[in-house]
Amino acid sequence: MNEPKNIGQGLDRIDGLLKVTGAANYATDYKIKNVAYGVIFKSTIAAGEIATIDLSEAEKLPGILTIITHKNAPTLNVKGGIRGGALLQGPKIEFFGQHIGVVVAETFEQARYAAQLVKVTYRNGEGRVDFEKLAKEAELPKEKDKADKRRGDVDAAMSSSEVTIDAVYETPIEHHQPMEPHSTIAVWEGDKLTLYNGSQIVNGAQSAAAATLNIPPANVRIITPYIGGGFGSKGGQWANLVLTAVAAKMINRPVKLALARQQMFNSVGLRQKNVQRMRLAATKDGQLTALAHETVTHTASDAEFVEPCGDCSKLMYATPNSLITYRVFPMNVMLPTYTRGPGKSTGSFALESAMDELAHKLNMDPIELRIKNEPAKDPSNDKPWSSRTTVQCLQDGAKAFGWSKRNMKPGVTMEGDYLVGYGVAAGTYPARQRDTSALVKLSRKNNEVEAIVELAASDLGTGTFTILAQTAADALGIPMDKVAIVIGDSQLPPAAGSVGSVGAASFANAVNDGCIKITDELIAKSGKQFFKRPTAREMMLTEKLASFESRVDAKPPAEAENYSVHSFNANFAEVWVHKTTGTIKVQRMLAVTGAGKILNPKTARSQIIGGNVWGLGMALMEESVLDPRYGNFVTRSLADYHVPSNLDIGTIDTIFIDEDDKVPNKLGIKGIGEVGIVGVAAAIANAIFNATGKRVRDLPITPDKLI
Amino acid sequence: MRPFKYSKTSEASKAVSIVSGSPKAQFLAGGTNILDLMKEDVERPDQLVDITRLQINQVTTLASVGGKAGVKLGALGKNTEAANHPLVRQQFPVLSQAILAGASAQIRNMATNGGNLNQRTRCPYFYEVSMPCNKREPGSGCSALKGINRMHAIFGWSENCVAVHPSDMCVALAALDAKVEVQGAKGKRSIDFKDYHRLPGDQPEKDNTLEHGELITAIDLPGNSFNKSYYLKIRDRASYAFALVSVAALLETNGSTIRRASIALGGVAHKPWRAYEAEKFLAGKSATAENFRQAAELEMKQAKTLAHNEFKIELGVRAIVQALNQALES
Ligand SMILES: Cc1cc2nc3c(=O)[nH]c(=O)nc-3n(C[C@H](O)[C@H](O)[C@H](O)COP(=O)(O)OP(=O)(O)OC[C@H]3O[C@@H](n4cnc5c(N)ncnc54)[C@H](O)[C@@H]3O)c2cc1C
Repeated sequence: MNEPKNIGQGLDRIDGLLKVTGAANYATDYKIKNVAYGVIFKSTIAAGEIATIDLSEAEKLPGILTIITHKNAPTLNVKGGIRGGALLQGPKIEFFGQHIGVVVAETFEQARYAAQLVKVTYRNGEGRVDFEKLAKEAELPKEKDKADKRRGDVDAAMSSSEVTIDAVYETPIEHHQPMEPHSTIAVWEGDKLTLYNGSQIVNGAQSAAAATLNIPPANVRIITPYIGGGFGSKGGQWANLVLTAVAAKMINRPVKLALARQQMFNSVGLRQKNVQRMRLAATKDGQLTALAHETVTHTASDAEFVEPCGDCSKLMYATPNSLITYRVFPMNVMLPTYTRGPGKSTGSFALESAMDELAHKLNMDPIELRIKNEPAKDPSNDKPWSSRTTVQCLQDGAKAFGWSKRNMKPGVTMEGDYLVGYGVAAGTYPARQRDTSALVKLSRKNNEVEAIVELAASDLGTGTFTILAQTAADALGIPMDKVAIVIGDSQLPPAAGSVGSVGAASFANAVNDGCIKITDELIAKSGKQFFKRPTAREMMLTEKLASFESRVDAKPPAEAENYSVHSFNANFAEVWVHKTTGTIKVQRMLAVTGAGKILNPKTARSQIIGGNVWGLGMALMEESVLDPRYGNFVTRSLADYHVPSNLDIGTIDTIFIDEDDKVPNKLGIKGIGEVGIVGVAAAIANAIFNATGKRVRDLPITPDKLI
Repeated sequence: MRPFKYSKTSEASKAVSIVSGSPKAQFLAGGTNILDLMKEDVERPDQLVDITRLQINQVTTLASVGGKAGVKLGALGKNTEAANHPLVRQQFPVLSQAILAGASAQIRNMATNGGNLNQRTRCPYFYEVSMPCNKREPGSGCSALKGINRMHAIFGWSENCVAVHPSDMCVALAALDAKVEVQGAKGKRSIDFKDYHRLPGDQPEKDNTLEHGELITAIDLPGNSFNKSYYLKIRDRASYAFALVSVAALLETNGSTIRRASIALGGVAHKPWRAYEAEKFLAGKSATAENFRQAAELEMKQAKTLAHNEFKIELGVRAIVQALNQALES
């Protein structure tokens, strides 16, 4: 391997300038000739059937090209991989705000106006939208990995142990709400379809669109070089993508369709509400004897998705008795889906709050309690850790944060009119590499060698372009500005997605493998022997080649399977709560992360800060409120659905543990996409308890819960 | 958005005559509220008369009544300018604080003083056009009464409407006994702030007592003898959120004695709610935490809560006490 010159450097994002100057094209920024505009209209009941749709007024308006409803929509394959239904295949309504039609017009304004003039009547069905009432119907999920996981006997340990915790933690429905709403341009040329569309999984979007439209994948091209955030909502694809293609086909013209911000609440998935019962049992000196994490949640009426809330609980702490269960019931709401740190962010709120409650009951430092129960191997499968940094994250963090200043006694530390508290929580996220191919193309002009690296990866805005350029530059011996990274196009070699924190590990290893492979091939082609392995650049120069290319199909190392491979972290928070009004200020947070090789400390830091900010939103403000009578979200815009504003965010510091673990993959990357949010809500809730003596077990923690 | 006619004028009388003569016409000022409502199909004017060119956008000194000069805010002045104007900051700091507690810097740069008074409720059922709402569609019913009503009224609501007025600025204006200067087809008049906004009663579609086509030309802030004041806003996040409860508190003190108090609450009623009970109690009392608490409790005793907003009573008490305390320190 070459000497790393770029990997490990905190370099600016190479796409940064394009973005701040507006030069980066997001899906609907492409200038397509003769484009028409689609606007979706939605159901205003949660369950039942459309009785009549009156389009007469809408159709009369100028500029209207077509109106698509279930009556004239083509037959689509509803099992083709588009999530969440709403493909206009019939009159049935499954949730409030389900798409029931698309107006296509010459201008956006004409389409939006016409959509408002469509008159729909319904035959109302019995809407299942009241979580509290329905929760008792919850059953074992169909998904195999949500089966009950039982070790030992939790009930027995609970009744025989000296100290126990038995508490229920609730997290509400949340929405991803990335900056860029889901939007698409569809262009047909004969039977070939091009879709400009923000897609976290480029090849996934391609296959889902093709299968749903009943056409071969080779006829569908996805273009998505820049994505304005996704947080899981652009991992799977939703009806809006395919309906844009349908509209374009029906009018035989390109169509652009962007969801309105308000439509984002019932179009592209959500994080489901979870009611989590935690039971912990321990000896007087803090040795865990039992840990049970039981989640009740809802899914959509016609498909199942269950967030893995027990994921942290199954492996964070050593305990002889353990129980992880899930129960789920259908509701007439949009299908839940992956949302940043699925199961881990929400589950860690329950687990790490309960650990804090236990520490308090034991009169023990919560860090000490965690370290005391550190498992030597993964308790869920007995595999050895490839590496585990929980203890170091907690200890280094405690030192950097000034944890020793924390008052063990809650509710007594004051600064002016504010009660001050410190909180801590630990977290984890699995690390994986997924199959990804990459094509490396070298070209030489005189003494200049340039590289183009192509793969169907995606950059959510996190820095994928940059880390891949760093990787390729080092592996080829070429300066970074002579490396072009081409991603976000399904015609490129297939790649994993920017999902599940696998992006960096999958893409960078594929690029690295590709660069090593092309170097090997150049050396072999020259027929020469070398004492010191030359770089690809040197080979191109000495062999005077004009161009050379090679493709690699990279796979994760097989022996990774024999280990439990995870990122680990610890979060610290200092929170001030106003003693009379209950107003909450998170003065500072610290995130300590052990995530293997950090390719770019600058983009990594941003990623962790982003996770912390979202964790703060989860702790203090994010909640999508469902009206249990009608199934509509009462929080219907970003004025009602609160995410943190600048003023809500104090100082955020990040520390990365220096880790060299080559088990997960050659470059030792574990992934930092999601671990940054895991544990944050609990750290803040624990700090609030330390400040006020009040334990809030249902998120978000708003001022009214503290008075 | 439905198509509408757009016109602009730099003459107040012309603007008034166009809107007065056309039942579905409306004024367009900063547009930060009306345009949003039109996109959502909540407001459906057939005509917008752009009044941003009217030259009534200055902050000026108001002739004194009984010794103290006041301030006149032109209706088309921007919220940002009003909040930062030295005359306002020096003489009516509570108004400056209230304006700056609202919305965001970008919105305040667009929003006008007149528009702020006439902004409409943020009740989500008012916005959800598929649902009954008496304010949007008289006679259709109130979805919030038995719905999700955490953000809704605890004072002065009726079975027909439990929405609250969302403005921060207006809470300070209520406490300051401002006067709304208006010009209509029938001439000019001046409306006391307490009579400007309405309680819903059986006409929740009417937010205020303006006649259709009447134009706000200015907001007058009469001089006063309050020497202490504070605006406190309690909300779900530190900025860019509407109030759970807010308090504009003004005190005229003589040593530790309160000669007079003026207190208005936001986020609790269909209009900025003057806490007359609390004011009456405090007059002549000494400025102690205990008296503040008793005054606040007295006021909140009249509250009638809904399913999800019971917390507003205790929060209201605490907010009044806190605001009075901070006023005292000002
Ligand atoms: C996201 C968001 C958050 C917000 N948060 C807050 C907040 O926390 N606190 C707060 O107080 N406000 C908040 N606002 C509201 C904001 O203050 C108002 O939208 C603004 O003050 C309206 O002023 P405008 O000039 O833009 O009015 P416009 O939108 O132009 O007009 C609003 C109404 O007033 C009428 N009107 C305007 N001028 C006159 C006049 N001179 N005479 C008669 N009628 C007139 C119009 O016809 C229209 O009906 C928020 C707004 C948004 C969008």
